[in-house]
Amino acid sequence: MGLDLGLILDSLPRLLDGIGITLAILFASLAGGLAIGTLVCAALHAKGLVLPRLARAYVTFFRGTPALVQLFVVYYGLAQFEFVRESPLWILLRDPFWCCVLTFSMNSGAYNAEIMRGALSGVPSGPLEAARAMGMRRWPCFRTITLPLALRLGLPPYGNEAVSMLKTTALASTVTLMDLTGVARTLVAQTYAPYEIFISAAIVYLAMAWVIEQGIGGLERRVGRWAE
Amino acid sequence: MGALSGWIDDFLAGTLVIVAVFAVALVMSVVWGLAGAAGKLFGPRWLKAVIRVYVTVFRGTPELLVLLIFYFGAAVTLTGIAKIFDPDVKFVDIPPFWAGALAISMVAGAYLTEIFRGAFLGADPGTIDSAKALGLKPLQVFFLVRFPQMWRIALPGFGNQAISLIKDTALISVVGLEEVMFTADMAISVTQEPFTMYIAVAFIYLALTSLVSFALRRAEARANRYRTAG
Repeated sequence: MGLDLGLILDSLPRLLDGIGITLAILFASLAGGLAIGTLVCAALHAKGLVLPRLARAYVTFFRGTPALVQLFVVYYGLAQFEFVRESPLWILLRDPFWCCVLTFSMNSGAYNAEIMRGALSGVPSGPLEAARAMGMRRWPCFRTITLPLALRLGLPPYGNEAVSMLKTTALASTVTLMDLTGVARTLVAQTYAPYEIFISAAIVYLAMAWVIEQGIGGLERRVGRWAE
Repeated sequence: MGALSGWIDDFLAGTLVIVAVFAVALVMSVVWGLAGAAGKLFGPRWLKAVIRVYVTVFRGTPELLVLLIFYFGAAVTLTGIAKIFDPDVKFVDIPPFWAGALAISMVAGAYLTEIFRGAFLGADPGTIDSAKALGLKPLQVFFLVRFPQMWRIALPGFGNQAISLIKDTALISVVGLEEVMFTADMAISVTQEPFTMYIAVAFIYLALTSLVSFALRRAEARANRYRTAG
């Protein structure tokens, strides 16, 4: 019952076909997640009572429920409403690809908002007070002092979030998409060789996670290059 | 939302299944985490290398894929073994409950290995030295001095893993565990209201994760009760 190496070699090219969709979902969701995260983080810091509470509820919901359930609510759930089916957005919402991108962006946005909030609150107040005392206005102050310092604090947790998003994209296979995991599941159904094929897929995911970690690590060194 | 009323019992039964898988997986993941941390701290070099591979692989592979490997892998292996004894056997599998609990606990165990190891090393070396100098035996040093400090350091990371574990239980429905996702699917086939049912599932999970994070905040407050400010 040893591993069939020939089967691993045969299945690799077909698995690589699935990488395209995995990467497309990953990059679209990371971009969407950054946009939503920025908005939600701004809402968390907004004045008044309503906006911060709404943002807090958003973060709690998306961090406290499984991404699989969120995906099913969007992909299977929204079709329950006639106004959704008749809206122009239906072209996107009936497409499993865009449902994945939408769900994972909202999910990632919740985590990003918390990462950004933590990074902003970790910025020491000393340099900021000094700049204000010298007469710098709020926006230049934010752009040249707070933002670079917050970036340095936020990048390490963001790297973890990006790897976690890569792993979340595997859920796309549960809504009929042929991403890396989807292709692997189809191949296993055909060959009945779960070890060979799923382990090959796992190796591809590990390689992608490694690339993300290296990329974020490089960015960390770049933004940290003036730190003592 | 009226469609929900007839399904409350079924959702409750599904929730109990989630809680059961979670409890089993949590205990297992603590065992893997403690064993991994102990091996990485005190083991021979080959064992440290094995644990490093375990941690890297299980942190970098999607949880769904780990689950599929465990469930279908175990099925193929068991069917192969069963065929040796009885050639007429078609298919043997392990219950989704156990395959699922094992798979998600192995993932959490990989994270806990690093969390527990960091907590062990995080204990103030001065307190350990003082305890030894006072003549405490190694076991006393561990339980009276090191463990109370480890607990404090490990709790936040442990809490995050516990919450991840609850959410990971939803994946086990993919290999046929009859938990709340399964209840929702049954309810949808009758009521044709997928949004209502999946949102109900989401709020069940939200209640469970909120409960666990509340308990963890209490535990953290307790762990830090003798700490002075700073």
